Amino acid sequence: MRKLLYLRCLSIGLFLSFTCFAQERTITGSVISNVDNNPMTGVSVTVKGKNLTTQTNANGTFSITAAKGQILQFSYVGFTSYETTIGNSDRLEVTLTSLQTQLGEVVVTALGIKKERKALGYSVTDLSAQELMKNKNTNLVNSLAGKVPGVNVTQFSGAPGAGASITIRGGNSTSDSRQNQPLFVVDGVIYDNSTTVTGNTGTDGLSRSNTTYSNRVMDINPEDIESLSVLKGSAAAALYGSRAADGVVIITTKKGAEGKVSVNFNSKISTSWANKMPEAQTIFGPGSYASNGVLNTTNAYNSWGAKIPADSTLYDNIGDFFQQGAIYDNNINVSGGSKNGSFYLSGSNFKQTGIVPSTAYDKTTFRFNAEQKYGPLTLNANVAYSVAKTDRTLTTAGLYGSGVGSMQGVYGWPQTFNMKNYINPDGTQHRPYAGTLALENDIDNPYWIINQDKLTSQTNRFTGGINGNFKIANWWDITGRVGYDQYATNDYTYIAPGSALSLTYQKGRLSKDLYNYTYITTTVMSNFHKTFGDFDAHLMLGTTSENTKNVGQNHWGYNFVTAGTISFNNIATGNKFFTDATINKRLVGAYGEVGVSYKDLIYLTATGRNDWSSTLPIENRSYFYPSVSGSFVFTKLLPKNNILSFGKVRASWARVGKDANAYATLTYVNSPITIGSYTGIGNQYTSGNPLLVPEIQDSWEIGGEFRLLNGRIGLDYTYYHSQTQNQIAQPRLSNASGYILTSINSGSVINEGMEMAVTGKAISKKDFGWDVVVNFSHNKGRLGAFLPGVAYFYPTDAQFGTVKAASVPNGGYFLGMTGTIFLHELDSKGVEIPNGRYQVDPTTGLYKLNTNNPVVGNREPDFIGGLENSFRYKQFSLSFLLDIRKGGDVYNGTEYAMMVNGLSKQTLLNDRKSVTVTGVNSVTGADFNQTYTSGQNYTIGSTTQSGDYLIQQYWAAGGTVGSYANNSMNFITSVNWLKLRALALTYDFIGLLKNQTVIKGISATVTGSNLFTWTNYKGMDPEVSAAGGTGGSGSTGIDYLGVPAVSSFTFGINLKF
Amino acid sequence: MKNIKYIILGWVVVFSAASCKKWLDVNTDPDNPNNTSVLIQNRVPWIEHFFQYTSGVSNFRTSVAAGVYYSNAATGNALATTWIAHTGNTTPYQQWFVTTASNLNDLYTSAQQQGAYHYMAVADVFHAMGFMLMLDIYGEMPYTQALTGNPSPGFDDGKTIYNGCLSKLNEAISLFSKTQESGAPALSTADMWNNGDVNKWIKLCWGLKARYMLRLSKKANLYNADSILYCLSKGPQSNADNTIGPCYNNSTATDYLIGDPVVTNGNWDYAAEGSNQRISQFHYNLLTNMRGAGVTDPRMSKIVPATMANIKLDANGKVIDYTWNRSIGVDSYNSQNAQNPLSLANRLAKGGATSIALESYAATNTNIIYAIIDATDRANFIAAQVAAGRPYTTSGNNVTVTYKAGSKYINSTNYILAGDTAYVNLRSCSLQYGTTGVNSEKELNWYPSVAAGAAGAIGSTGSFQVRPVSDQEILTYHEMCFIKAEVYMRKADNASAYTAYRAGLQAHLDMMQAKLTQWKAGGYNKSAVGFTIPDMEPMDQAAINTYLSSNAVAQDGGTLTMSDIMLQKYVAMGCSIENWNDMRRFNFSAGNVGAFGVVYPGYDHGPLFAGSSLYTGAGKTDPRYWMRRWKLPTTLELNYNLTNALAINAHANDANAWSIPIWWDCATDDEYYGYLKQ
Repeated sequence: MRKLLYLRCLSIGLFLSFTCFAQERTITGSVISNVDNNPMTGVSVTVKGKNLTTQTNANGTFSITAAKGQILQFSYVGFTSYETTIGNSDRLEVTLTSLQTQLGEVVVTALGIKKERKALGYSVTDLSAQELMKNKNTNLVNSLAGKVPGVNVTQFSGAPGAGASITIRGGNSTSDSRQNQPLFVVDGVIYDNSTTVTGNTGTDGLSRSNTTYSNRVMDINPEDIESLSVLKGSAAAALYGSRAADGVVIITTKKGAEGKVSVNFNSKISTSWANKMPEAQTIFGPGSYASNGVLNTTNAYNSWGAKIPADSTLYDNIGDFFQQGAIYDNNINVSGGSKNGSFYLSGSNFKQTGIVPSTAYDKTTFRFNAEQKYGPLTLNANVAYSVAKTDRTLTTAGLYGSGVGSMQGVYGWPQTFNMKNYINPDGTQHRPYAGTLALENDIDNPYWIINQDKLTSQTNRFTGGINGNFKIANWWDITGRVGYDQYATNDYTYIAPGSALSLTYQKGRLSKDLYNYTYITTTVMSNFHKTFGDFDAHLMLGTTSENTKNVGQNHWGYNFVTAGTISFNNIATGNKFFTDATINKRLVGAYGEVGVSYKDLIYLTATGRNDWSSTLPIENRSYFYPSVSGSFVFTKLLPKNNILSFGKVRASWARVGKDANAYATLTYVNSPITIGSYTGIGNQYTSGNPLLVPEIQDSWEIGGEFRLLNGRIGLDYTYYHSQTQNQIAQPRLSNASGYILTSINSGSVINEGMEMAVTGKAISKKDFGWDVVVNFSHNKGRLGAFLPGVAYFYPTDAQFGTVKAASVPNGGYFLGMTGTIFLHELDSKGVEIPNGRYQVDPTTGLYKLNTNNPVVGNREPDFIGGLENSFRYKQFSLSFLLDIRKGGDVYNGTEYAMMVNGLSKQTLLNDRKSVTVTGVNSVTGADFNQTYTSGQNYTIGSTTQSGDYLIQQYWAAGGTVGSYANNSMNFITSVNWLKLRALALTYDFIGLLKNQTVIKGISATVTGSNLFTWTNYKGMDPEVSAAGGTGGSGSTGIDYLGVPAVSSFTFGINLKF
Repeated sequence: MKNIKYIILGWVVVFSAASCKKWLDVNTDPDNPNNTSVLIQNRVPWIEHFFQYTSGVSNFRTSVAAGVYYSNAATGNALATTWIAHTGNTTPYQQWFVTTASNLNDLYTSAQQQGAYHYMAVADVFHAMGFMLMLDIYGEMPYTQALTGNPSPGFDDGKTIYNGCLSKLNEAISLFSKTQESGAPALSTADMWNNGDVNKWIKLCWGLKARYMLRLSKKANLYNADSILYCLSKGPQSNADNTIGPCYNNSTATDYLIGDPVVTNGNWDYAAEGSNQRISQFHYNLLTNMRGAGVTDPRMSKIVPATMANIKLDANGKVIDYTWNRSIGVDSYNSQNAQNPLSLANRLAKGGATSIALESYAATNTNIIYAIIDATDRANFIAAQVAAGRPYTTSGNNVTVTYKAGSKYINSTNYILAGDTAYVNLRSCSLQYGTTGVNSEKELNWYPSVAAGAAGAIGSTGSFQVRPVSDQEILTYHEMCFIKAEVYMRKADNASAYTAYRAGLQAHLDMMQAKLTQWKAGGYNKSAVGFTIPDMEPMDQAAINTYLSSNAVAQDGGTLTMSDIMLQKYVAMGCSIENWNDMRRFNFSAGNVGAFGVVYPGYDHGPLFAGSSLYTGAGKTDPRYWMRRWKLPTTLELNYNLTNALAINAHANDANAWSIPIWWDCATDDEYYGYLKQ
């Protein structure tokens, strides 16, 4: 060892002494960026092999002493390092190439391994910080929308703190408890992105659809991100093992750059508003008709009553309810480094108030990243801490069987009532029907909910990792890593006394949920790399262990004894409860990768991994899965030309195994109950399955990358196919099994599709540039064979109005939707004639409904895409991102609800004086043509019904009556949209900063998000997910009484010191 | 190579991360025991409780359909008015399968391993009672593949389920007759119902067999009167043999699935926990005018609730004087006509609500202004105020009425509703669901508000069978007597039928009297502020004697009719699914079964009937005119197991599935399978 050091010193000494003989002179020059041709400040300029470094100044120029034959190195974060040998000229003009804008550069792949893009046999998309920040969203997931082919992002709602779902190449799992979302890896450590519902309908009324939930990637400060890579197929992700079947998003956070300490500060202020609200009719007032024509106005919240008199005061309850939202976003970071070490320190605060009064989101983050080299050893450590707090509201029905939530109330409140009048002088709830409607049968005024109830969620999160890399030899290095991810979510749900709840809870109710997530992982990886003539080979072997432990605690109680003190201490012992829930799962993996390439022409890679998971039965807990991939750079064999400057084809095949959820192998029992002197114990409503085997995904993809016209145009295309078999699920099935939820292995999900990205540099001049990036993707998800006898697979939390999110076995839609539709007339063989006349049921006088859960839609778009344009003119830069979607059904459940409660404008047809039912009698087949007119009576079956009642029934009848509301098709649209998702205009004031050295950069940015949506959808924003975070086929494409999506306008300033 | 040390170190690091098998053994939930470790002594009380709950919801909802109770037209239980069924037709099904039946196999196999034959027998009895209950309600369901671990079990027809239940009872009888292996826990350590008395369990089995064999009365080839009589001879012989689920009001602990109290009566949980239920006119008439005799049944004031009226308050606002206002029945069957001034139809003709309004309590003098445009109505309304002694003023169409402090009134300006205080709701309160501050273990009365509770102004005294502390009747001697009476009547042995009929009536009176005596002794007959609740005290023996000798009760076999038997049984069974079962066997009020005539006169669709798409029969003698079953639970079977459901019954998801007769309700298998065919 000592000898080795001596040898090294000697060689440096020799080199130094050699350089002494050269003729030194001053070299000057400038560095510009290939992105915008602007001068680059702070670029390190080093004489290779010599301890001599300088940086470019604010004008992008530098000056350094060097000799002919020496090599100058130019380096800057996010750009490819550039080297040039000094010749005779004293002047150098250097253009640095952004990593982002070039295909064929180095990308981060599984386990953080950097690879040349041309060596990959699968598709990877990477995004730079600059790309992500163009439309900064505090939820990183939202910033990916429209930018990455194959990635589908849906924001849950417009409420502050609302999460978003992301799926890559379609969902692979039908189960509620599996979210079909990619694995997130931050600096080599798996980063949890759950959307956790801590409570339940029994203890605090919380379900996925009735309040706001965040996805936990929101805890990352997006400003800390240096780059992001999306591994889409399982070949790319296979090394991550069990959790990678849905793709991987690898995030690398910022590091300090060598050189002087630099400080960045930016501050943004933003205003937001509901981009579209539902409209209510203002002609008819509260009431509803009984079958004999009696108008019932007692206790009526539905607006099926008489015409509102002309002199009545009307209230715009919907419009008045929403307010302007605001965001204050401040970020600061300090970074720096020397030759052997660097650091990056950041802090941020994001404060948002929502368009629903009393709702807010407040996130504070800190991060410290550091790296130090000791000879062959490089150590780095990253730690981050965040505190995120959401003030939320119940949006739809809260507690089991009681009341409704704020949004449901807002979209149904009669227009003749002033909704703002929600409280009496004595502090009790002002209820329009207080005299005749018991509190437990009433509904809460939305203002009562937002002002009196209190629902908050706070998450404190600590993540960190330590990496060590030891270069044993130039052909061998070892990496060790310990990662830690821990967060505690505290949810608080207080329902005020006097709320419209079942009797038990009318004196108030409180629930506190603590959810503690801890994840520890260790990894050891060994890399070997050797070149044999024209062959280059590498081998990687590694092992990993993961330990995930979640501890959940729920405390709840009701009936505060002394008014005004909201605490469990103020609740009698018999009325308070607590439960514990522990989840522990462990996994050990061993993996390896071997690769060989020939002359940069052909690359072949194979991987294998074996996992041992604690969640599977012991005899099934070990499972192995391999992958192979290859690429062929065929342009190497062609004569050099400017038309096709680069071309590559690639192919891969992979298998990935997926384990079960913890404890799914056993059936557990409930807490004991005591009756008299007896103690009873019985099974829980979830059954275990001791025979589970791993879920297996097989996938393949082929694709190519091409660069034309000297790289001015780039093209990337992929076709893929995946099949996930032995689905592990815990679905709701027939209760006759004895259980509500049953763990099973069944069925398969098949996805196939294609992705395409085109990049173009339309104009690239010194003062003016125009870059275009277009991407498109198409996915077709189908459910293969499933349990015999089961015709549909429903996620529990995604059933709204008349439709249910459904996967349809045996080749049906994975993102299907079932509902109820009118039956068409039958042909002579008794088969329904498509597009034939409707059947009319003589027992109702209205259309006949097919209630056998027909498939009514496919929520999967035909294709999605993005078009990004960036313009640069001198110090101005302008970019905008258009998000495109073609097809995919959306159910307008909000309009359905307003139809049922009589507020839909559609019900104003003929001034509600008549409706006409035409079709064929479902019993006799005879023509049926009947107009029901207000004030008339009609014989329907054995009863006499009034015209007013029949008109109301025509629109809004519930149950199995063929009303307008009950025909799901009346609310389903195959939606196309073109969204101006982001528009950003930046002015760089760098030119104003000459002759001073303190401020290195200053720029101002104005951005708008979701400013325009061109769509054929008639409801609110069609980007909807009524029960965010639902697994399986999820709830995207179902619009039901949510907080409207928002548009926003932001002004920001960036300063660099 | 000097870096050989590193290389060696490297290999050590790479291979030292060997997996530890023990480290992975963490897949057992540390917070919950699992189904293999639970004691059978703990399974039985659980099963007994949840069966009581399952049968409670079934009893209540079918009782509303059978006309025992009226439930508000606005609620999902509006089977008595609109006949539009509750979407909660899931509850009995889910309660049976998930809370109760999921434990039967674990109980049976654990008991078998210990030679605990009596526990195995208990599992068999619950199997039979539960699946028969489901058969009664839903007709077809998974049976042979149910509870087997098959996540999408296929369905069985009613015949298969029926026969399976009977064979389980036979097995239970033989298992109860065995001596348990030594070391097996005695049944007495686990059994809330019969305290481990095996003979009572055997009698229960025979009684159940009699009940179930009577179900076959429409089937000429299967109905066997002598077999039923044999079973009855081995079933309960007196009230001492009754199987009763004990119920309490001494805990606020709630169950894990629905959140209702675990100690209370399962019928109460549905019929009288909330304010929407009242006595129907049909039921009320049987208690006040049986056989047109105009004699009030001594049980009437124990079953029909009362509210305090004519309340006088002292200076502190406490009740010092009052009278009891006994509820009248809600007439939801009869159309508008002059003879039924209180029918809902008559009320509706004047407009307004389709439901009965809930009474409020006036803690202080309260004025309500009624705008009454119709002059006749206005005059009648004023006359009613004069009669009631309420101050009022008039101004044009407006009548302002002052409800003095202590009054019960309907807090609505709609004059049509003002008389609704005549209908007292069935509600009783428990420790948990009550007027806070007043309710205690023994104070079960309902108060309309906290102020009423403080004043002691009772809003309802509740009803005998549906209080939190009422006995849950699983199988009773009086039912056996009425079965015997029916069987003899069918054999045209009127004398034996008469004896059994009188014995059944007497047994029911005795059973009620015993419970009322017990309540009085236990102090349940006093309200929180000390008022006596006569409804919770024993019946007057003189009134019993008068009734028994009156024309309300048949006095000899010669005049006894099938209707007499079934209507007395109806009153005695009350909140029980057996009434709806019996009504189906006699085709409700169609009068087309045997020569028995109309057995349930007056029962019919009412003016608010809106079920024309559910009950598609043309007239009373068309089986499809009546509710014959419940459609399968939507969210449990029709959403998640529809393929299997349609495979057994092509019409399982049709709107009018509600009127498809189940297997035992059909005369022949051909008739039954004819309904299920495409």
